[in-house]
Amino acid sequence: MTTKTMSYYPGCSSQASAVHLDTSLRAVMGKLGITLRDVEDWNCCGASVGHVDGGHLGMYALNGRNLAAAQAQGPEDFVTPCAACYLNSHYHNEKIRGDEALKAEVNEVLAAGGKSYDGSLHVRHSCEVLVNDIGMDAVKAQVTKPLSGLKVAGWVGCQTVRPFAKTERGGNYDAYDDPKFLDDFISACGADAVPFKGKTKCCGGSVSVMSPDKTLHLMKDILDEVKETGAEVVVTPCPLCQTNLEMYQPMINEKFGTDFNFPVMFYSQLMAVAFGLDAEKDAALHQHLIPPQPVLARAK
Amino acid sequence: MNAMSPTPSKAYDLNFARWVYENVDGGDRMALCMQCGTCSGSCPIGTQMDHGPRKLFMMIRAGMKDAVLSSNTLWNCVSCYNCVVRCPRQVPVTYILHDLAHVAVREGYAQAKESDNARFAKAFWWSAAKYGRTDERLVTAKYYFSFGVGEGIKRGMANQKIAMGMVKTKRMHLGMPHKVKNTGELHAILAKAAEMEAKKHGAK
Repeated sequence: MTTKTMSYYPGCSSQASAVHLDTSLRAVMGKLGITLRDVEDWNCCGASVGHVDGGHLGMYALNGRNLAAAQAQGPEDFVTPCAACYLNSHYHNEKIRGDEALKAEVNEVLAAGGKSYDGSLHVRHSCEVLVNDIGMDAVKAQVTKPLSGLKVAGWVGCQTVRPFAKTERGGNYDAYDDPKFLDDFISACGADAVPFKGKTKCCGGSVSVMSPDKTLHLMKDILDEVKETGAEVVVTPCPLCQTNLEMYQPMINEKFGTDFNFPVMFYSQLMAVAFGLDAEKDAALHQHLIPPQPVLARAK
Repeated sequence: MNAMSPTPSKAYDLNFARWVYENVDGGDRMALCMQCGTCSGSCPIGTQMDHGPRKLFMMIRAGMKDAVLSSNTLWNCVSCYNCVVRCPRQVPVTYILHDLAHVAVREGYAQAKESDNARFAKAFWWSAAKYGRTDERLVTAKYYFSFGVGEGIKRGMANQKIAMGMVKTKRMHLGMPHKVKNTGELHAILAKAAEMEAKKHGAK
């Protein structure tokens, strides 16, 4: 097994709505030989709304501060499990790297806090690390409790692959419209990845948080398609996808007269279970509004 | 981005289109838009926009500044980036909409004060800038109460069950907000960014 140390940017949701992503990912990455070193004193990336009040340089300030802190601590890989953190870190990193005038401007901003950044880090999504550095053979090698017979809908969502399915070292780690990596993760855990045409549909993101009346139908469409596939559980890499699709199911049922009650998990939780790790301490299965344990117990 | 966008002297003012090409992030590629409509057709929430991105871009070309910066299109975008990856001319549609939203805020358009997204974004930036972290509880509360005390309580009550579930599953903590250790350093960096932005656009 190859071992590697990477800077880790958990993002704000790791301390709140997506704490179960953070817990399970740390456990799984540890088993797979990746040492995650938290970015010292990391801050918010600005997500999908920071630009509104923060403007250009405000967003560069937030993302530049994280990248500067990661650079100061060493490892050249900057990995994050959050879709929005990945998008913002990746975007601002590439812009800083590719434009000397902008780099100087951002460094003038960072210098106010005694920091600097040269644009040389590689921003990675944790899924991309699983695809390109670890590989499915290494994942399979850790599986002690394969989830045989479990039907799983792999729902990628948006920002994990859009617009940055391309990696900073060149090439794409997967496709924008029909990515396969999540199905590969599910299969590696011994479960059945059902063909799921809604895999890159949008849950409404932050608009669902602020105005669910505008976007409940988007999530209803996704759940309709999950139901059609016969899947028992949805697995996603995105913190906001997980929270939205889980917490709004009662509201969707009320509005549309449906009876959805699908557990929505992270791929890292599925892996933690398949690796035979602790159900709570490592897989954080107790942190769901719709508990996945009954469905997982049926797998054998 | 430089200076304020030009105020039109008439309904159709081509100076605005030029300003967008030169000053908005990704605006330089907007000139290549061939009005194919792939963006609007790919938009999950296009039916709830005043104008889909394709039409909005034509309005920019026509110089309809007020109609563009008053449009709810800038505020209903869900940031799914379907349009960005599908555009055959590589126009970074989402980035352009984001940047125009910031222009609308800077220039004081009504939607930039009243829309759900503008209110939410204000609450979000408050938390990010003050603590260096997004406190989901405080951002949501601040957003709800931006509609007034009565509406704030009403929205809070309507989502009580979700909030209690999040507390019970330890996905919402009680107590002080999480924050960066070095808030002084963060604030100095953000203040410098704001100062440099203001210098570019001319103090308002």
